[in-house]
Amino acid sequence: MAEVILKNVTKVYEANQKVVENICVEINDREFVVLVGPSGCGKSTTLRMIAGLEEITSGQILIDGVVVNDKPPKDRDIAMVFQNYALYPHLTVYENMAFGLKLRKFGKKEIENRVNEAAKILELENYLNKKPKSLSGGQRQRVAVGRAIVRKPKVFLFDEPLSNLDAKLRVQMRTEISKLHKSLNATMIYVTHDQTEAMTMGDRIVVMKDGVIQQVDTPLNLYNYPANKFVAGFIGSPSMNFIEGVILSDSNKFKCNSSEITFNLNQTLIDQLVKHVNRKIIIGIRPEDFYLEHEKQPASNVINIYIELIEPMGNEMFVHFSIDGNNCVARISPTDKIKEGDKVTLAFNLEKIKIFDTETNKLI
Amino acid sequence: MKRILLYTFLGITSFITILPFLWMVSASLMNDGEASVFPPVFIPDYATLIQFQTLFVRLNAAQNFLNSLLLSTIVTLLSLFFNSMAGYAFAKYRFAGKNSLFNLLLTSMIIPSQVTMLPLFLLLKYLGFINTYMAIVIPGLANIFGIFLIRQYCLSIPDSLIEAAKIDGAGDFEIYQKIILPLAVPILVTLAIFTFLGTWNDFLWPLIVLTDNSMYTLPVALANLMGEHTKDPELMMAGSLVTIIPVIIVFLVLQKYYIKGIMMGSVKE
Repeated sequence: MAEVILKNVTKVYEANQKVVENICVEINDREFVVLVGPSGCGKSTTLRMIAGLEEITSGQILIDGVVVNDKPPKDRDIAMVFQNYALYPHLTVYENMAFGLKLRKFGKKEIENRVNEAAKILELENYLNKKPKSLSGGQRQRVAVGRAIVRKPKVFLFDEPLSNLDAKLRVQMRTEISKLHKSLNATMIYVTHDQTEAMTMGDRIVVMKDGVIQQVDTPLNLYNYPANKFVAGFIGSPSMNFIEGVILSDSNKFKCNSSEITFNLNQTLIDQLVKHVNRKIIIGIRPEDFYLEHEKQPASNVINIYIELIEPMGNEMFVHFSIDGNNCVARISPTDKIKEGDKVTLAFNLEKIKIFDTETNKLI
Repeated sequence: MKRILLYTFLGITSFITILPFLWMVSASLMNDGEASVFPPVFIPDYATLIQFQTLFVRLNAAQNFLNSLLLSTIVTLLSLFFNSMAGYAFAKYRFAGKNSLFNLLLTSMIIPSQVTMLPLFLLLKYLGFINTYMAIVIPGLANIFGIFLIRQYCLSIPDSLIEAAKIDGAGDFEIYQKIILPLAVPILVTLAIFTFLGTWNDFLWPLIVLTDNSMYTLPVALANLMGEHTKDPELMMAGSLVTIIPVIIVFLVLQKYYIKGIMMGSVKE
């Protein structure tokens, strides 16, 4: 068993700077949980508190049922992979991977077996006698992962391990880490600012902002049922489009602030929003929920826009436009029929839109 | 044309700089009186080691040489040990008053050593260390320049290396011994050269605290030689050569680390 439980964990630095506030999360045994959020949201600080590299101001952290608040990192049975690899430059790959085992007085044979086994999994057999400076970024990261694997810890911690890699290598290593989780079947806690990594790798995702957990859920639930505007905008690429406006009581129509856009609501939404009539709300529409009106059956919920920019991606196009001065993006099938500067009619799926309270930003 | 002029200028300047040293080597291989003739002789008629024989056999310079070697080595090793620990602590540990303490140490560097010589002498006298090796070793155990040099270097070592070592199971001293020291070799060697040279060449302090001929270091013994044998420039040149050859060897062997240590931190990597 290697579950990790955070109970009301708070971290306050000097001068009353609260960086993590009242974090409560349970990470199940063998689960791959991703902490995601923008820079400065407290995700790395939370991970470092689990590792024992930062002191906890208040709250408790339990690993495998044992409170570890006062335990040094070496006694928590965890292994960590750092963003900048943190390989010992004066040691060979073999020595880097064996370092922790030697300190723990493992026998030479046992060390050799574990290092060779890890090297085989990570395809590092030919590099065991080399020093880190002669390796590529991806190889160094694999050595860092190997150093963690040989320890056979209860919990693996990853602190943005792919941030220093180029885009192609990042995609490759993402897959390798996911496969590693399946083969090792270990509890893993992964920190990233990249929502794509979070969505593709995590069993569950913890979305954080300003030191506070916004939502904890599976990737699909976060995508389909975001708890608030921040989660809705953070998950999904390109980001969700937000249109602020008001529901008109006489016509049950939504009218955006600048009255450029007006569309009918369906009965489900009308029933849902009965308390919000004549009050401001925010409508969120994902770029992929837009389509050109002529592509499907005629729709009553359409908006007329001027195309400001088209980004052809090959298998799709990103169409940039503005509503109420806000930049918006639609993700549509590639077509030659539209170009920059055109006025087009975009339709969208009413059932997919999200509505947020203007004051609390929470999902209605 | 410009390059030719530059190289000519550099060649002449280098020759002028090295000329006294070359003459010193030459004179040390001359017979008695050969260095004082006029016009001066730059190359001895017959090279001889008689001056060195006199130095080591008659004047017991071997004992002074051993004193210098022993003291320089002990002071270098001990000061490296203490300076490296202090520098690492100032760079990577958090403790109350760290910055104030470090600033205080730095400020004390403006006090000239001559000011502290008397109180230091009295302290060592009360401890009973005058005319012993301890009188040289104790003041050299740690110095602020060394602590500063190592602190600045340790600041460039990523914190994540130390954190990785903590997670791997290393204690504080193991991190210092197995991670920090190997990484700090260039700066340690630089500091070793500075300390070795400084201790080897030190004249005033050994002169003050050492009173027996048998305890004298080479610079002090050489100064005595000058007092007793002013009319024997060949013997004095031999004594000077014996004094500087070890430091030249140390410098030549370790100079690549020295240059690397000096340049460290000057260029962003």
